[in-house]
Amino acid sequence: MKEIIAIIRPRNIGPMRNALEQFGFPCMTAIAVLGRGAQRGIAGEVKLSNPKLRSSSKSGGMKYIPKRLVSIVVQNSDVDTVVKSIIEVNQTSQIGDGKIFICPLDNALRIRTNEKGESAVL
Amino acid sequence: MKMIRAILRPDTAEEVADFLADAGFVSMTKIQVFGRGKQKGITVGTIHYDELPKTMIMMVVEDKNVKKVLKIVHDKAYTGNFGDGKIFITPVEEAYTVRTGAKGL
Repeated sequence: MKEIIAIIRPRNIGPMRNALEQFGFPCMTAIAVLGRGAQRGIAGEVKLSNPKLRSSSKSGGMKYIPKRLVSIVVQNSDVDTVVKSIIEVNQTSQIGDGKIFICPLDNALRIRTNEKGESAVL
Repeated sequence: MKMIRAILRPDTAEEVADFLADAGFVSMTKIQVFGRGKQKGITVGTIHYDELPKTMIMMVVEDKNVKKVLKIVHDKAYTGNFGDGKIFITPVEEAYTVRTGAKGL
């Protein structure tokens, strides 16, 4: 089992959900998060109207950008399919498309039926 | 690669993030969470607070940088009181950048 943690643009959550559903992965957990990458958020995008702020060294950028963190647990053999479709749906080739992390997972348990391991995932 | 998840006081989290950025670890994700530790929340007077607001800073770094990040987080988040937070380190096998589809951080 692997946990796929993808940090993507909030508006892409719908298309991504539909795409993953087609491949047979309807389960996911989504969390609204704030984040930034190597570009240090967005610099100088916001115009400052307050002259006092403008004269100070404040750049008027955004330190954090709202993102969605999506966590999907899949079998080892499905990791490539899911990663490929996540990249396909979310790719705009502009900075801020997000990152995908693949982490190992020891066990899973379905609370309703007490199933453990692979059968608990799907 | 390792994923570092630090659950910190919301007011120290910003300082930690700034110092991490200065040290070259800019990329991170911030999540507002609620939690409690061994002390089962806090009791102020007669009122018991079961879940306390915390900020979770999540970042993925190369193995060799883990110690450096831990030191910065510990130095900046430490007050010596209950509730300073916890840091968890978990393995990450692969990382992809969505924009380029490239492997690696």
